[in-house]
Amino acid sequence: MDLLWQTAVNATYAASYMALIAVGLVMIFGVMGVINFAHGELYMVGAYCVVFLYAQETFPFLLAVAAGLVFVGFVGIVMERTMFRPLRDNPLGGLIASIGFLLILQTLAVFGFGRRMGHVPPSTQGKIEIFGAILTYQRLFVIVAAILLLAALWAFLKRSKFGRALRACAQDAEAASLQGISMNQTARVAMFIGAGLAGVAGALTAPLVSPTPYIGHSIIVTAFIIIIVGGVGSLEGAVIAAVLYAFVHTFVTTFFDGVIANIVGLALMLAVLIVRPTGLFGARERA
Amino acid sequence: MLRKSLDRKISRRKFLGTTAASGTALAAMGSGLSRVAFADNHTIKIGFLAPLTGPVSAWGKPGLDGCLIWADWVNAKGGVNIGGQSYSIEFVGYDNEYDAAKARTGATKLIKEDGVKFIMMLGGDTWPGVEKIAEREGMLFSTLLPSDLSPDSTTLVAPCEVHPIYNVTGVEWLAENKPDLKTAVMCAQDDALGKPSVATYLAAFEAAGIEMQDEPLFFDPTTTDFAPVMTKLLAGNPDILCLDTCYADYVHPLCEQAFQQGYKGQIISCTADFYQKIIEKTSVEFMEGFIFQFPDFDDPALNSEGVNFVNPNEFYAEYAKRYGASQWGAVSWEYASIMDLWADAASRAGSAEPAAVLEAMKAGGTGKHAFGTADWWGTELFGIDNALVGDWPVVVIEGGKATIKDFKSIPAWWDKHKDLMIKHMTALGQMWNQRG
Repeated sequence: MDLLWQTAVNATYAASYMALIAVGLVMIFGVMGVINFAHGELYMVGAYCVVFLYAQETFPFLLAVAAGLVFVGFVGIVMERTMFRPLRDNPLGGLIASIGFLLILQTLAVFGFGRRMGHVPPSTQGKIEIFGAILTYQRLFVIVAAILLLAALWAFLKRSKFGRALRACAQDAEAASLQGISMNQTARVAMFIGAGLAGVAGALTAPLVSPTPYIGHSIIVTAFIIIIVGGVGSLEGAVIAAVLYAFVHTFVTTFFDGVIANIVGLALMLAVLIVRPTGLFGARERA
Repeated sequence: MLRKSLDRKISRRKFLGTTAASGTALAAMGSGLSRVAFADNHTIKIGFLAPLTGPVSAWGKPGLDGCLIWADWVNAKGGVNIGGQSYSIEFVGYDNEYDAAKARTGATKLIKEDGVKFIMMLGGDTWPGVEKIAEREGMLFSTLLPSDLSPDSTTLVAPCEVHPIYNVTGVEWLAENKPDLKTAVMCAQDDALGKPSVATYLAAFEAAGIEMQDEPLFFDPTTTDFAPVMTKLLAGNPDILCLDTCYADYVHPLCEQAFQQGYKGQIISCTADFYQKIIEKTSVEFMEGFIFQFPDFDDPALNSEGVNFVNPNEFYAEYAKRYGASQWGAVSWEYASIMDLWADAASRAGSAEPAAVLEAMKAGGTGKHAFGTADWWGTELFGIDNALVGDWPVVVIEGGKATIKDFKSIPAWWDKHKDLMIKHMTALGQMWNQRG
C-alpha cells in the first residue's frame, strides 16, 4: 500500500511540472501558431537562473525562482519580438528559428556554466508523510506552485479583460484585430506567460534534477507527447494529458521499468491519435 | 479555447509532421568540437575521441583535462624519447558526444587530417562506429571499456580500466567486511555501459552469497525524475542498493532520492564522481560507507611501491589547482595512465607507428598498469588478450572523503568464479561473440 501511495505522490509531482511546461507550450502555439522547439531550453534557462542566483550567489530560493519566471518570460518576449513577429505569416519559419534559438541558448549555457551538470543544493530537506508515502518540501513546492500558477492563469484568461482579448486572438486573430485588439501586445503577453511557465518549472525543479545545458531535449519530447495527447491548442487538454501521462509513466516505471514506461507513453500518444486524431480535447480541422 | 489557431495558421497534420521532422533533425544535429593542433616534425599527435559534452561527458572531459597535465609535464622534461629523438606530445580532442556516428567522423578526421598516432576513446556505444576504421587503417585505439574487445578488433586495447570486471572487487570486499548484508537491488541505464556491468554485479553478488531481491531495473538514459525508480528499488527494504555503472548525472539524483525516501542501508556503485556534491545534497552520515572503485589520487595508499602511476599525489594537486578538486572524477587519471603505457612502449619500440607500439606494449604478456604489474588477459571473456588486468582499489567514503580500503586482485576472483561471470554475461548477451 505504501508503494502505491509513494508512486501516486511521485506521479503528482511529475504531473505538476509537466503541466506547467505543456501549458506554456500550448499558450505560445495557441496565440501565435508557432511550434516553439526552444521551449525545453526555456525550462533549462529557468533551472540555470536558480543555479546562478541560489546555488552560486546564495539568494533565497523563492526569490531565485521568481527571478527565473520573470527572466525567462522576458527571454520569451525577446523571442517574440525578434523571431516570431517577423515570421508571423510563416509558422514553419518560426519553428526553424526556434530550433536555431535553442542552440544559441544551449551554447550560452555551456559558456556560462560549463558542460557538466549544475549543482543545486536543496532549499530544504524537510519532508512530510502522507499515508506512509514521503513527500519532500522541495517537491511539495512544485506541486503547490503549479496549482497556484495554473489557477491564476485560468482566472486571468477567464476573468480579466486582457485574458478575454488573448482568447479572442487565439480564436480569430483577424476578427480580434478588427475589434481593436492589438495582436502584437497579446502575442507579447502570451509569450511572456508561456515562456515564464517553462522557466518557473525549470527553476522549481532545479534542485531535484541535475541541470545541464542539454536537459531541454528530454523535456521537449515529453511536452510534445502531452500536448498531442491533450489536443494541440487546448489548455485544459494539456493539464489533463500531463496528469494522465505522468501517472501512466510513473506507475509503469515503478511496477515494470523506465524503458517500458517510455514505450507505453509513446503508445498512449499513438492510441489517442488513432482513436481521436485531434487529441483528447482538440477540435476537428475544417475541411 | 485556443484551438482555433489550428485553423488559422498551421494544421494539426502540419504540426505533427513538422514536429516529427524537426525532432529528427534535432537528433541528428550536434557540434563536433575539435581542437586543431599545429605541430612540427618533433611533435606527435594523440587523438582524444570521447564525449566532451552531454550526460557521458563526466567520463571524457576530465580525462582530457588530465591528459593536458600529463603532456605539460612530459613536454617540460623534453618529451618522449623515441629512437634517440625527443618528441613533444600534443592532444587533439574531438567530442563524439557518445554517439557512434560522430565517433566515426571524429576517427576519420583524427587519422586523415590530424595524422594522430594513437587514439584514446571511452568506447561503449561509440566503438561500433569506429571499429571498421580501426581495422582498415591499422590505427591503435584504446578503450576504457574492455567489453568493446573482440578478436575482430586486434588494434583495440584496454590498458587501464577493466570495466566492468573490477566491480567484483567492491562486492568481494563488502561481503568480507559486512557479511550480515544479504539482499540487494540494482538499477542501471539501458545501454552498452549499463548491461555488462549489471552482469558483473550479478556474478559478484552470487559469488558472495548475496541474494537479488528483484530483477535489475533498467531505466531510459533520458530519465530526469528518479523518484519512481528509487521507489521501486526500495520497496522491499534491501540491505544493499547497487547503482551499477550509472553516469554521474544519474548517480547524484539516485542518491538524493534514496536519501529523501529514507534509505539507510549500504550503497555500492562503480563510480561516485563529484561525490562531494552528493554529500552536499544528502549528508555525511548518509554517504558514510558508500563503496565505489575510483580513488582520489591524493590518497596516501597510492604511494605504495607497487603503484606505477607517476606522482599520483602531485598529479591530483595539479588537477585540483587547475580545475578544482570537486571536478576530479573517475577518469581524470585514466587516460593519462594509458599515455604512460603508450610512451613507455613507443620508447621501447623506437617508433610511434601503431603496429610497433602495440607489439612493444604487449611484449612478454605483462604491463605496468597504474595499480601494479598486470597481465594481458581476456580470451575467455573478450575473445582476445587485449585487456591489462591486475589489482584494483576498493574505495569507501569515510567522514566525507574517499579512502582506499584495499587493493584486490581481479584475476584471483576470476580464477574462482569465472563460470558465474560467463553465465551472467551470456544471459544478458554481453559475451564478445554475442554482441552484434
